[in-house]
Amino acid sequence: MVDEAKKKEVLEKLKNAVIQYDEDACKEGATEAVELGMDANEAIFDGLVAGMEEVGRLFEAQEYFVPEILMCADALYAGLDILKPHCQQMDLGIKGSVVIGTVEGDVHDIGKNLVKMMFDVAGFNVYDLGRDVPLDKFVEEQLRTDSELVCLSAMMTTSMVGMPKVIENIKKKNPDCLIMIGGAPTSKELADRWGADGYAEDASNALKEAIKMVAFLKKLRDEKLKK
Amino acid sequence: MEAGALKQYLKREGATLVGVGDVSEALTPEINHLNRGIAVAVNRSLNKDSVEFLVRLQRLTVKWLKTAGFRALAIPPDSDRIKDTYVSKLYKLFSHKTAATCSGLGWIGKNGLLINREYGSKLTWATVLTDAPFRPDRPVSHSECGSCELCVKHCPSGALKGHLWSIGEPMRELVTYEKCRSLKKNRLHLSGKPNCGLCSTICPYSRNGRPKKPLCGSPDDEDDNAAMLVSSLVNWR
Repeated sequence: MVDEAKKKEVLEKLKNAVIQYDEDACKEGATEAVELGMDANEAIFDGLVAGMEEVGRLFEAQEYFVPEILMCADALYAGLDILKPHCQQMDLGIKGSVVIGTVEGDVHDIGKNLVKMMFDVAGFNVYDLGRDVPLDKFVEEQLRTDSELVCLSAMMTTSMVGMPKVIENIKKKNPDCLIMIGGAPTSKELADRWGADGYAEDASNALKEAIKMVAFLKKLRDEKLKK
Repeated sequence: MEAGALKQYLKREGATLVGVGDVSEALTPEINHLNRGIAVAVNRSLNKDSVEFLVRLQRLTVKWLKTAGFRALAIPPDSDRIKDTYVSKLYKLFSHKTAATCSGLGWIGKNGLLINREYGSKLTWATVLTDAPFRPDRPVSHSECGSCELCVKHCPSGALKGHLWSIGEPMRELVTYEKCRSLKKNRLHLSGKPNCGLCSTICPYSRNGRPKKPLCGSPDDEDDNAAMLVSSLVNWR
């Protein structure tokens, strides 16, 4: 049995290492977690990801800027590399594949990368199209990979307007595919109006939302099969 | 705020030169809150693995700054080779030469390299950007190459244009990089080593540089340089 106090200390260390963008401390914390025999999933979600959530808040509060966010992400990945091989099959109960990208005209991909990272952590199969992605590419990639989920990100109102077109085209080709949108100018209302299935205001909500959506989709499929 | 304590600390740890520059003019929006550039240099000819040594100094700098409550973004000496991290996307937004000239540690020579009055271009550089409000050193604004054209005349690829650099014309091209690159490719093919280094070794400032206390390099390094100079000439012809 892992000592509770020690466990809490390691989680706190991982969290702070991400917030303080300290790669070395993050590696150290991750190694300690492994040596203690801690649950790697717990170390990732309650340590690393908890830290990243705080970083997101600091970014919104304009306490952190782009370089800090990137360094935090690097620190998180440094820890993740150590913890990932020790991960139990994620007991989130759900796994899926997802196509993700920032829509045409937009080169801001930090938000998209954070969401991608969350999917990585959760064991999703991620097809990352990168940034400034031509609208048709999303449709093509979804068909090619038969992913359950497509995530569209935009940082600017000018590029956001491409989203309804992608949503329409994907739904035309594959009505079962789920679509989630995110990024500063988007909202729940817009998602509803454009026929997207989900909206997430930040990276950890994106994961929660995605798990809910994919779980729902799988349930529907299972019921269809039973009939 | 004075940077003296940090400078002394880094020199004790083995830095050859340390300077602080006001780099606000050279910053893009992503990094414009980090308006001080700390330029750290080590003498290549004293140290076999100057990159590794600099990375260590850079870590110490970042730690020092963070402990004092400031932000720090380290741009490593070999930043062009690092591509697998998120933060590496920012490296190309800022050059070591900018930090060095703004910190008054040298100018950009006709060879396109940073030249320091004492060490020439035998230095390897690293930069730490920070928001610590250090009082900046006085920048170097003009080339001190004067009428010397040794590097221009001896460049085997004829890549050097012979222009004098000044801080007011940062975009002026001093080197036809295409020519230099094709020479490097050739050399890599012939001898496995891409850099001819002639423009650095032939510079009078580089040759006058006097080694002081060796850190861990061997005293033969000067001879190595001379040998390299000769062999690169021979190889080319």
